[in-house]
Amino acid sequence: MNLLDAPHGKPLRIVDLAGGENVRRRLMALGFHKGDVVELDGQAILRGPLLVRNCTSDTTVALGRGVAQKVLVEAVHEPA
Amino acid sequence: MSRPEVPTVIFIGQPNSGKSTLFNSIAGPKAETSNFPGTSIKHTHSRVNIEGRLLDIVDLPGTYSLCTSDPAEQVVLTHLFSERPDLIVNVVDASTLSRGLELTLELVELGYPTVVALNMVDVAERKGIELDAAKAERLLGLPVVPTIAAHGRGVRELLDRAFDVLDKGQSLKPLRFSDDVETEVAGVERLLPPGFPIVSNARFTAVKLIETAGHACGDFLGEVEPGLRETVNRAKQAIEKDRGAPAYEVLSAERHHQAMKLAEEASRILHGQRMTWDKKVDAILMHPFFGYVILAVVFLAFFVIIFKVGSPLESLLLGPFNNLKAALSARLGGGLLFYLAEGLIQGVGGGVAIVLPYFLPLLFLMSALEDFGYLARAGFLLDAFMHRIGLHGKSVSPFILGFGCNVPAIVSTRILESHRDRVLTSLLIPFIPCSARTTIVLALIAFYLGPFWAMGFYAVNILVVALVGWAVSRFMKEPSPGLILEIPSLKAPRLSSIVSKTWLQVLSFTKFAWPLLIGGSLVLSLLNYFRADRWINDLLAPLVVKGLGLPHELGVTLVFGFLRKELSLIMMLQALGVDYQSLMTVISREQIIVFTVFISFFIPCLSTFVILWKEIGKKWAFISAGLSIAVALALSWAVRLIL
Repeated sequence: MNLLDAPHGKPLRIVDLAGGENVRRRLMALGFHKGDVVELDGQAILRGPLLVRNCTSDTTVALGRGVAQKVLVEAVHEPA
Repeated sequence: MSRPEVPTVIFIGQPNSGKSTLFNSIAGPKAETSNFPGTSIKHTHSRVNIEGRLLDIVDLPGTYSLCTSDPAEQVVLTHLFSERPDLIVNVVDASTLSRGLELTLELVELGYPTVVALNMVDVAERKGIELDAAKAERLLGLPVVPTIAAHGRGVRELLDRAFDVLDKGQSLKPLRFSDDVETEVAGVERLLPPGFPIVSNARFTAVKLIETAGHACGDFLGEVEPGLRETVNRAKQAIEKDRGAPAYEVLSAERHHQAMKLAEEASRILHGQRMTWDKKVDAILMHPFFGYVILAVVFLAFFVIIFKVGSPLESLLLGPFNNLKAALSARLGGGLLFYLAEGLIQGVGGGVAIVLPYFLPLLFLMSALEDFGYLARAGFLLDAFMHRIGLHGKSVSPFILGFGCNVPAIVSTRILESHRDRVLTSLLIPFIPCSARTTIVLALIAFYLGPFWAMGFYAVNILVVALVGWAVSRFMKEPSPGLILEIPSLKAPRLSSIVSKTWLQVLSFTKFAWPLLIGGSLVLSLLNYFRADRWINDLLAPLVVKGLGLPHELGVTLVFGFLRKELSLIMMLQALGVDYQSLMTVISREQIIVFTVFISFFIPCLSTFVILWKEIGKKWAFISAGLSIAVALALSWAVRLIL
């Protein structure tokens, strides 16, 4: 699933960064890589951007929906 | 090795790492040039004397990595690669250590003498992370000094270590990538042709060739020779085949994992994620409802403060200039000399009376909001609205700045990554009512027709910005890459940092706009002296009288409006030969509205026009002027039709 379909407040692992080279480079420069665990922290109204927090580096970025769509994630199952 | 007389020390760090704060606490108020918010394109350079030792220190814009496609960040690369610094001070935000270290690792690969300032250790502690600087120092092989730049803590030690490195030199060992990657890097390194412009060392050059080849940010490495291009492509393909991902991604991921490992080893988690105060505040600031309420309050407060502070200050400041003018008039009579002196006084006075009262509080508030971290949050909240006009949230802060003065607002569009977004934002900024135009709106519409009319004027104005944006973006369809905006952690703003930021911005604005204001005023005075107003009025009569239904005498104020918008009001009164109180005896309510609408929109003022030309080119400056004239005509006619 991509970030748009992902649940809020749950740990998610990035499985792939799709999209053009520019977007991928930018995301990586901001510390978002394949394999990282992220969490959705909020969303602006009117189909606004998503707040995505990287749980490792504790940095947060706002991603527009077009960009968020290109970040593919899977749910992380925490050990009970 | 012979050292140059004054060593150059470059400050590098990711955005929001507190780099400029640290720089300022060392350079103090002696920094020579600065920049508009978020756009340190012009780097700050300053020579400081620390206990008898001279240093040339340079503050470069924040950059996330040494391989960037962001135009603002590329300045860093150009500077770093063309000028070999004697020392690099790498500022790392301790509270987001693992990401910051990715840049540090690139700097270690670069291999210039480097010291790391592990900044904001207090924020990290609040987050429950205890850092082991000594361990980080061992792992990285370079000095790591914990600092809290905002309080000046650790600065002394940082400088000691820096001098130590300057005196004794330093040899850095880059961390190794995985063997397969290293093999390819070594292959390219071996085949670098003699005479190839090597940046720092052969390995770094090879890594950057693999990482950037085929991408715009490889340009600074010079033309790649055909033979070498093949070697590089082979290396890239080999990596891509092995790993199933593009070479740039593999290299970036390798560093990412090295950095995470380093960060893990050099820090200790004291307690789990707590709901700290900034998280609580953030939840409200970016709340889908309260977030917008707060945003509205912030905007409103902006205007209230600017006009509560600005208006009284303006009249206070203009007083002496008017007295001086009166005195000169008595002494010099009506000769050319008086007109020249009058122009000079009006230019200088206008600068003081506009820059100080309106611009200063605005910049101060902007700096405070920026330091606090609010601008990024406003960008997040307004992104959806900006999409309607073909832009995204990053354009919000240039727009806000535009309410003070369009000139720095246009400069600050440099933060936008795509050229298309920059042009579109710069075209829209001249439609935002700057403080000079707000003065006219207040003086004419609010005073004669009432505050509700003025508010309506503002609402229509914002609507016009939106409509023009929507219309222009139809012609500039190139897809915007979308919003990728870091939301920095909230920081309590510090007065000293805000003041110095404001001061530097006022300074660079003054350097640019004041000469233009003075020049414009001198031209106006000369026009007056040679009685050129009469033929200007005749020339403009078809537009002014037939087109807009305004008195013949007002033609000349349009010319004034181009040179100095805020002067149009005074010139209007002068042209009509009445004083402010009795304006309504010679002109109707409808005419006041038409005049205000037209004068607000019809053309960007001279300073704005010049900065548009400088920043986005002649073509767009003229397009902007044409657009403004078209919008002003359409609006004025609409007003005449409705009223």
